[in-house]
Amino acid sequence: MMKNYKIIIFLSAVTLITACKKYNTFPLSQQTVDRVFDARDSLGANANKFLLTVYSQVINGQNRIDNNYLDAATDDAVPTAAAISEPLTQIATGTYTSFTFGFGSGDNVWSACYAGIRSANVFINNIDVVPVQATMPNIPNLSMKYAWKNEARFLRAYFYFQLIERYGGVPLIGDKVFNVGDNVKLPRNTFEQCVNYIVGECDAIKDTLLTAPLATSNYGRVTKGAALALKARVLLYAASPLFNGTTLITEAKAGNTGIGPRVVTDPNIVGYQVADQNRWKLAADAANDVIALKAYSLNPVFPDIFLDYPPSNNEVIFAKIVDAGTNVENKNGPIGFPAANSNGYTSPTQDLVDAFPMLSGIDIHAANSGFKPDSPYAHRDPRLQQTVFVNEQVWLNTPLQLFQGGQSIPNSGVPQTVTGYYSHKFMGESERVNNYVSHNEDWTIFRYAEILLNYAEAKNEFSGPSPDVYQKLFEVRKRAGISQGNGTYGLTITADKAVLRGIIQNERRIEMAFEEQRFFDIRRWKIAPTQMNPYKHGVQIVKSVGETTINYINVLPDVYKQNTFTPNQYLQPIPYNEVIGNLQMQQNPGW
Amino acid sequence: MLYCYTKKCFTAIIIISLALAKSSFAATADSTKTANSGNGITSGTVVDEENRPLKGATITVKGSSNAVQTNSDGHFEINAGSGSTLEIKAVNHYTNNVVVKNQSEPLKIRLLDQFLQSYDKIDVLYGVRDKSDFLGSISTVYTNQLVTTPGPTYDYSLPGQLTGLYTHQTSGFAQSQNGGTALLVQFLGQGDPNVVNGHNVSINDNSEFALSVRNHAVTTVIDGIQQNVAGIDPGSIESISILKDALSTMLLGINSSNPILLITTKKPEIGQPRISFTTQTAVQQSLGLPNNPLPAYLWAYLYNEGLENDGSAAFYTANDIAKYRDHSDPYGHPDVNWFNLLLKPYSPMQSDRLNVSGGDDVARYTISLGYLNQGGIFKEAPDVTYHSNNNISRYTLNSNINVNVTKNLSVDLQMYGRVQQMVEPGGLAGYGTIISAIEHTPNNAYPVRNPDGSLGGASTADVFKTNLLGMAQYSGYTQTNLKNVLVNLDLNYNLSSVTPGLSLKARGNLAIESQTNIVRTEQRQAYTFIQLDSTIKYSPIGSSSSLSNTFSTILFERDSFTQLMLDYDRRFGKSRVGAQALFDSKSIIANYDLPAETTNKALRGSYSYDDKYMAEATVNTSTYNRYAPGRQRGWFWAGGLGWQMGKESFIKDNVSWIDSWKWRVDYGKTGNNSGAPYYIYKQTYTNSGAPTYFFGINHAGTVGYMESTPIADPYISWESAKKLDVGADISLFHNLIQVNADYYHEKYYGLLTVPGDNIAILGTSYPAENLGQNLYTGFELALTYKNHINNFNYFITVNGASQASKVLFNDELPQRYPWLTHTGLPTNTIFGYTSLGYWTTADIGSKYTGPNSYTPQPGDIKYQDLNGDGKIDANDAHAIGNLKPLLFYGTTLGFNYKGFNLSMVLQGVGNLQRMANGYYNLPMLGFGLFGSGTPSQAYTQALDRWTPQTAATATKPRFSPTGEWAFNGNNSQSSTFYLKPANYFRLKNAEIGYTLPLSWAQRLKLASIRVFINAENIFTIAGYQEFPGEDPEINGDGSYPIQRVINGGLSIKL
Repeated sequence: MMKNYKIIIFLSAVTLITACKKYNTFPLSQQTVDRVFDARDSLGANANKFLLTVYSQVINGQNRIDNNYLDAATDDAVPTAAAISEPLTQIATGTYTSFTFGFGSGDNVWSACYAGIRSANVFINNIDVVPVQATMPNIPNLSMKYAWKNEARFLRAYFYFQLIERYGGVPLIGDKVFNVGDNVKLPRNTFEQCVNYIVGECDAIKDTLLTAPLATSNYGRVTKGAALALKARVLLYAASPLFNGTTLITEAKAGNTGIGPRVVTDPNIVGYQVADQNRWKLAADAANDVIALKAYSLNPVFPDIFLDYPPSNNEVIFAKIVDAGTNVENKNGPIGFPAANSNGYTSPTQDLVDAFPMLSGIDIHAANSGFKPDSPYAHRDPRLQQTVFVNEQVWLNTPLQLFQGGQSIPNSGVPQTVTGYYSHKFMGESERVNNYVSHNEDWTIFRYAEILLNYAEAKNEFSGPSPDVYQKLFEVRKRAGISQGNGTYGLTITADKAVLRGIIQNERRIEMAFEEQRFFDIRRWKIAPTQMNPYKHGVQIVKSVGETTINYINVLPDVYKQNTFTPNQYLQPIPYNEVIGNLQMQQNPGW
Repeated sequence: MLYCYTKKCFTAIIIISLALAKSSFAATADSTKTANSGNGITSGTVVDEENRPLKGATITVKGSSNAVQTNSDGHFEINAGSGSTLEIKAVNHYTNNVVVKNQSEPLKIRLLDQFLQSYDKIDVLYGVRDKSDFLGSISTVYTNQLVTTPGPTYDYSLPGQLTGLYTHQTSGFAQSQNGGTALLVQFLGQGDPNVVNGHNVSINDNSEFALSVRNHAVTTVIDGIQQNVAGIDPGSIESISILKDALSTMLLGINSSNPILLITTKKPEIGQPRISFTTQTAVQQSLGLPNNPLPAYLWAYLYNEGLENDGSAAFYTANDIAKYRDHSDPYGHPDVNWFNLLLKPYSPMQSDRLNVSGGDDVARYTISLGYLNQGGIFKEAPDVTYHSNNNISRYTLNSNINVNVTKNLSVDLQMYGRVQQMVEPGGLAGYGTIISAIEHTPNNAYPVRNPDGSLGGASTADVFKTNLLGMAQYSGYTQTNLKNVLVNLDLNYNLSSVTPGLSLKARGNLAIESQTNIVRTEQRQAYTFIQLDSTIKYSPIGSSSSLSNTFSTILFERDSFTQLMLDYDRRFGKSRVGAQALFDSKSIIANYDLPAETTNKALRGSYSYDDKYMAEATVNTSTYNRYAPGRQRGWFWAGGLGWQMGKESFIKDNVSWIDSWKWRVDYGKTGNNSGAPYYIYKQTYTNSGAPTYFFGINHAGTVGYMESTPIADPYISWESAKKLDVGADISLFHNLIQVNADYYHEKYYGLLTVPGDNIAILGTSYPAENLGQNLYTGFELALTYKNHINNFNYFITVNGASQASKVLFNDELPQRYPWLTHTGLPTNTIFGYTSLGYWTTADIGSKYTGPNSYTPQPGDIKYQDLNGDGKIDANDAHAIGNLKPLLFYGTTLGFNYKGFNLSMVLQGVGNLQRMANGYYNLPMLGFGLFGSGTPSQAYTQALDRWTPQTAATATKPRFSPTGEWAFNGNNSQSSTFYLKPANYFRLKNAEIGYTLPLSWAQRLKLASIRVFINAENIFTIAGYQEFPGEDPEINGDGSYPIQRVINGGLSIKL
């Protein structure tokens, strides 16, 4: 008995030691899906925050690659720090492979867009449970969550557009959110399926979205106009020569030693095998749908498109919202101002400068233009100096010194423009102040002028020159400040579709420089070889006492002489690991 | 203040205890006189090192077969006359030969402890086992081998001594605590520093040594508890073992894959109070710091040369260089050796330890007190009121009380406490930053002080604007306070009354560790000194701030462990049956973390027949609470067989020189849960922290929600291994030679690996999944030889190990070229380019681009273009180094002659390579500290650079401190150019000591007194040294140099 007693004491001692308390089995600080998409959250606060994340995944083009604009890889500009190893230089000179492309700070849109698509899908799949009480201002008694869901669908469609303009057809994943163990090794859909998917989404959501004009607190949200604008751009691309009757597979084969493996054999993946002129009509109609909304108009002042907000600015249809600031100036502004930090990224070319007509609207190369080589910047299209800084243009209360040894081209070893010009677009009004002032830096994705140009292009391609087409060009030129002249704003009136095509293409170039349009335009128009292969030009101004000499130079001959635009560059290579890791994936032609 | 006060108190305690002990012992010492002896009989007493009677010592008369043993009083009588020689032997003691001078006078003979000890009972995980039937692979060192090494943690004494333990010392001082979270990130893994992320053992204060066994980090177990307190005083440790095979570690279940470093502290022994006191003082000297920075004029000359190479104009004029050279303008043209200015050649270390133990059949105790003070290498400013030099001061207390409450119940209470304070310079910088800055700042960067006494600075650029003297001596300090308390209560209940051989053991442990940081920062203004003609201008750079304080709690960790164990061990005739049932549970909470809980339920059975045939098996079912519900429990098992061949008659009767020859083999499945990220099994969503996006024209940012990355892995589980160990333990020539040999073959599988086909269509990042497989194989061998020639006792033990590894599967994608494949190669393979020497003017004509599309110049390193595509990129990197199995070895040898002893530890590593493209090999490379592109320091080896004239003999590529080179680094790429052997051979440790004759000690009323000098890192033969004094183990930028330590001390026993 005594013995048992001891054992009992012993065991109770043991129990005391080992007694333990039950804790949470999962940390409360780790929030699960039902906290974000909360069935009790009538404000939808957390869900809205998730949607913000999807919005935040939209790509911001401001100085996106190596601190330069993507347009520095076109004939409009060259990268300022032009080391051959920089990703942007590689894009510009075509010295990349599927292995190197998109690494580092390059144009790595593949994974960024699929990440955006995933986030959108998480939102689309879960938002239904959230009892959002707020209703849409434009549709009575309809919960805002339907607008939110459609905003996510728009963003998803826009992510797909960013993919197909670079890669052609890509895997469509629908509403699926993949998890560990799911098969993500999907084959590419055809280009047509992708276009139809994006167009179908735009059509499906367009009537359950906010409409312009937005309340200022809703500025930045997707509207019906944005959905129609996306549709218009997708259809314009689909109708363009690169995709509409693609010959890429045979073209890209020639002389190319891609590293593969599994190069596309089905032309339908990289475009429409059979061309169809009617696609231009679809594009024109889609652009016209936006115009017909009558919700948008051209901002009377060209630079204010990027600086003003509604209601004074009704041109922007959709923009990625970016913090106000002076980043554009700090990145791109002319160097040499001690008080104003600037780095002069993206050096515009002489070729871009020459694309701007005279104030009369007449091309500078035309005999009657009145262009004077010794004062080349006088009496030009006002957009020239609003897009590019030229010598003696007033900036920060100072006439810019863009001559050799001048304040902004000191030749002292610090990075400076390599063309003699600096980029001006998107900057605040700092002509008459001593330092930069914070301003709107939203990245404009769709604006009304593009819609007009989309319409003009598609309409001209479908049915040839017409007053309707010219009217759209006049509107754009009128706003730019080109004098009306005899009513044609300096344009040649022609019945030749090809001549008008050239006019429209030039207008698009100068109106939307640095807006990430040119890079894709020269590809979809298939004019990239003629635009990219020649030397790009800059200017070298030598100033001696009382006299100024202007020399036109070839920019960076060492780097750019290697540049040959081979047909495989019409589409970007699918990142190498995506092809290696996915046996269903097919590489683009020539890669 | 408090620090000083506690130091005084401590000293007082020691003095008082010594005085008390001395007086009480003076009485007992007198009463040890022995009875006299009869005719023809010599009598005497044998005592041990502490002047206590030694039982069981064997006394033989040389030249006869006459032998007796001492009784429990250490007394003996033997038939031997005057003039005869007695040889006295005892296990684990040195043999002593004594000539009987006068047989009527009783002898008192002292036997000293052997340096290498060996016991029949060995400490294993959760218990003690007979060595003879232990089937695992174990290697043990005892306290003697630990205390000869002067160092702040016991880890310092391990290199070269334990068979199969690979040690790599990466720093000469405890890790910088600057910023505080660095420590947590290191020990808890990346991510939230307030949770135990991917670890289930406590935080480890060993930041100097990477310890691994069979290619895996060790789990430290101190007295049966998984704890990592490296600051335990080596003098209070009884033994340190490594347990290497599956059978020995199986009771850790889900944690059993890692080998165990088993620390057993000293246990109480019955007897009169024994007091020992050791005090030692050491001098430390830095090894492995570059000691050859270029003087300013050479630096300037080379910089000009580099600029010229890069096509730029020279920066320094001939006049500048002349002034640098003749030091005529110390302010305008400074030439500062930052190493000499800021670092001390020697620094002190002091340690004291006091051990008291004793007790009787009812209660026994042992108490160890330790004090350590380790100084650092930084000089201090005389005119600041605080200490900024590196310093660790530590007090430790380890006490163990063992009480027999009843005949069958005993209670064992162990308490360990530690109070440690670490100081380092730089309230914001930390010592690593300062050392790195010293290594990177050129001699001519700026004058230390301006003519007016203010701190100097550089005017040219915003780099080097932090004055190094200011940074090291006038920027405050960081003080880290670390406190540990461990309480361990064991209850042992002997249940022989139920059935013989049965016992029950319960154990509870609580451990608390807290770490707090005090940062005191100040910043003093530096000025650029500008002299224009006769006017002197001082232009301020940087900013100043007065001393400010911050206090933060870095860690508060609570661990608890409970264990219940039912043990059965009984002999039935020739059979011996053992069984054990075990349940335990361990919980770790760090800061606000949820407890990380591990449980084990294990059964072990063993059987041996006639001590010849042995079998043992263990099954453990183990859980960890951070896996998905339903996936938390795993089964682990191991079994072993043994055969004592030495006892078979065909050996015993025929081969007399074989004493024992045991074969053993064991095989098991082990687990490792340390890799799993925090609750990764469920998808969670993260608050973005910073605003992600906003609507509306006023740009009011809103914090967003996003999916946490990587996404959840609902199937995540522990990593596993199947381990085979085959070994033999052999004893030859009457135990003169011991051989232990092992072969292992360990296949690890389910290793957490991010899938190779992690394509971006998933839209997020992939978590690691249980995919990988690695194979580890190797041999381990230990040979021990102990013998004596009369009183000259000598010993040598040699150990060596080879470790080979192979990646069996890492879910690699098919590579473009076969040489890019990692699968099939060793796990630590170095990849890089093959260097083909330098580009020459003739070669350059061929079309080629270097790494990152670099255009090479003559004198740049030329790399082999493996795929022949005309450019060097990731496709040309291939396996170039560490392809052979790693070899490492150690030897401990020494002798003892009449109280005079010598011991040495030699240690080395073979087949190891490293990439020596550190700052001292890439002169003026402005990387890291001061941002890219800024020319930094160069060392004299830079003079061997390529120039057109020295193209044939140059050992460095051409100079190119600016431009593309600094950014693209053609010449800094990993390649065979910089691949160097990292092999080394060290005299790691040596000790010379003298134990004063017993009679002298007794005259001082002491039981024993011993003086010694020992040293660490005495000399090193390195496979490759870029500069004299470079250490093969340390080559990191900003690493604290490892120290050569010369230590002298005195040890007194009462």
